[in-house]
Amino acid sequence: MLDVNGITRTYGEHRAVDNVTFDVPEGHMVGFVGANGAGKTTTMRMIMGVLAPDDGQVFWQGEPITPAARARFGYMPEERGLYPKQPVLDQLVFLARLHGVDAGAAKARATDLLERFGLGERTSEKVEKLSLGNQQRAQIIASVLGDPLALILDEPFSGLDPAAVDQMSELLREHTARGVPVLFSSHQLDLVDRLCDSIVVLHQGKVVARGTSRELRQAGPLRYRVVLGGDAGWVRAVSDVEVIDLDGNTAIFQPGDEQSAQRVLAEAVQRGTVSDFSPVIPTLSEIYREVSA
Amino acid sequence: MSAAPTTEKIRPWAVVAGREIKVKLTDKNFIISTLFTLVLIAVIFAVQAFFASQASESKVAVVDDDGAAIVASAQVLVETDDADAVLEPVSVDSVEAGKTAVTEGEVDAVLFQEEGVWTLGADGFPATDVLGPIEATIQSQVLSTNATEAGTTLDALSAGSEVVTEDVSGADSDEQLVIFIAGLAFAVLFYIASLMFGMSIATSVIEEKQSRIVEIITAAIPTSQLLAGKVLGNTVLAFAQMVLLVGVSLIGITFSDYDTFLPMVTEPLLWYLPFFIVGFIALACIWAAAGAMGSRTEDLQTTTMPLTLTLVGLFLLALNLDGTAASIASYFPVMSTFMMPLRILEGDVTWWQPLLALLITIGFSWLTIRLGARIYRRGLLQTQGKLGFKEALSGS
Repeated sequence: MLDVNGITRTYGEHRAVDNVTFDVPEGHMVGFVGANGAGKTTTMRMIMGVLAPDDGQVFWQGEPITPAARARFGYMPEERGLYPKQPVLDQLVFLARLHGVDAGAAKARATDLLERFGLGERTSEKVEKLSLGNQQRAQIIASVLGDPLALILDEPFSGLDPAAVDQMSELLREHTARGVPVLFSSHQLDLVDRLCDSIVVLHQGKVVARGTSRELRQAGPLRYRVVLGGDAGWVRAVSDVEVIDLDGNTAIFQPGDEQSAQRVLAEAVQRGTVSDFSPVIPTLSEIYREVSA
Repeated sequence: MSAAPTTEKIRPWAVVAGREIKVKLTDKNFIISTLFTLVLIAVIFAVQAFFASQASESKVAVVDDDGAAIVASAQVLVETDDADAVLEPVSVDSVEAGKTAVTEGEVDAVLFQEEGVWTLGADGFPATDVLGPIEATIQSQVLSTNATEAGTTLDALSAGSEVVTEDVSGADSDEQLVIFIAGLAFAVLFYIASLMFGMSIATSVIEEKQSRIVEIITAAIPTSQLLAGKVLGNTVLAFAQMVLLVGVSLIGITFSDYDTFLPMVTEPLLWYLPFFIVGFIALACIWAAAGAMGSRTEDLQTTTMPLTLTLVGLFLLALNLDGTAASIASYFPVMSTFMMPLRILEGDVTWWQPLLALLITIGFSWLTIRLGARIYRRGLLQTQGKLGFKEALSGS
């Protein structure tokens, strides 16, 4: 398990990452979301040891993380790049060897993955000749070549078409299935919702929410939607109920507690037809907007 | 959790060095420039050997036995200077026929006597290797005849008139030439290698920064390993190229008239090798630091400028030093790389002097490696703009 414990990093006056704590259990995929400048990249760099935290620590399997353990992590930085003028296979082998994989195994594995992602014909082409999407694929391949103990990926899906997103998420799932913890950041909230076991929301350097997608939704305020036969304007007058939205016969309201909601339902039944009465499950985007407001 | 995929012992610096070498050896520009230099050296030696093997052979047309005798005597003079040289008399019927033979290129000159005056006719001014010996022969014959007529001898007449020359430096001029050329070669080879491969280190550092691959690499291996790999890879390349050039030159020398000087060059050359390596490494980390201080290839010109200027300055200074100043300079780091082997060649050092100079350079390298590594680490992840020297040295 990867355990991030209270890490902090300050640039001059600006506290980029403030006492951030979360964990990535074995075999879990954790989504890291937050606006630009929220501190995601800085946090990931500190996990990888590219930056040193001013305070706090990162633990791996319960112990403070060592350079040796980090060397076995797969990392895809936000500012990505490979040697533009070197053939793609050559540099994948080079990067795998830096992670301690021997040359023969590195070559076999890189070739396999390049073939799998449709780059089998282009292994000897220079990276600068590949399209941005294909460079991105090569970059993701680079991060998994060292048979990583954990994966730290900064925006791995940006710039990929939907088919490539599916290929790459499949690749990540293969890793979690083997028990590898995966942390990735993304702005594509639907994707995070679909792929991740849990989510960490960062806002202005602080963790403002974390948990499974279900936990986050349940933690959100309880809201109901009621659709009536006639005008719903009367809901405003019910005590301990705040109307969020009102549109003719439909009202979305936030009761103080479950009983207040039941009072609304009882009155609605008394007044006539009730065609719908249901709790409103917020989308992840709504939760995100709320916590980072 | 999957098993470790490897049985290979991780030596990241070796992997990095291997990549540096491989990239360079597959770089067309590098291959072409190295081959071009080798061809240039080979051509220089071939041209030199060609002219050396050209024995001078001149034909002189003569109209009578007197002329033939003079040419024959001149031949004896010529032979004492160059055993292969030939001055051959060719008999012609008349002066006119001789002149025609000259203009038609059949002979190099025509020798005849008219009204007691010897004339050497040629197409233009006679070649010195023809005129010289013939003139000397005629002078001594005429003087000898005149002396006999005056009742004395040529020896008695010329006694005490000879001026003997002496080189008071005690060295012969060929040896001076060899020392001059070897000194220049030591300096130029080091200067070019450290500039060329130093620039290539700086470029490869900035390329890693610009493409941001540096973040992946430094997450996988320590910065010091990356730096060590780069420096060692380029040192191996620079050294190999230097050995190749020197090797080809030495082979060239064995075909030339200067092969007798080879034993004299051997000891300085053996000293030059360690000096070259240590001197190169002393600068390599600074080159890497200069690369790390910029963030785009265009920044290189500015960040490497102080280093380039220092190198040019040291090179020019070294060429213009002699005497005590040269002795002092031969202990000065980097300059000692070519100044000390030169002094060894001149033969005025004892065994501990080059050793001391080498130790000073090693100490200096230790400093530059630490300084360079510090700036390198500091600059590596700074991807916006250039890093000033003050900024580069402050902080961790």
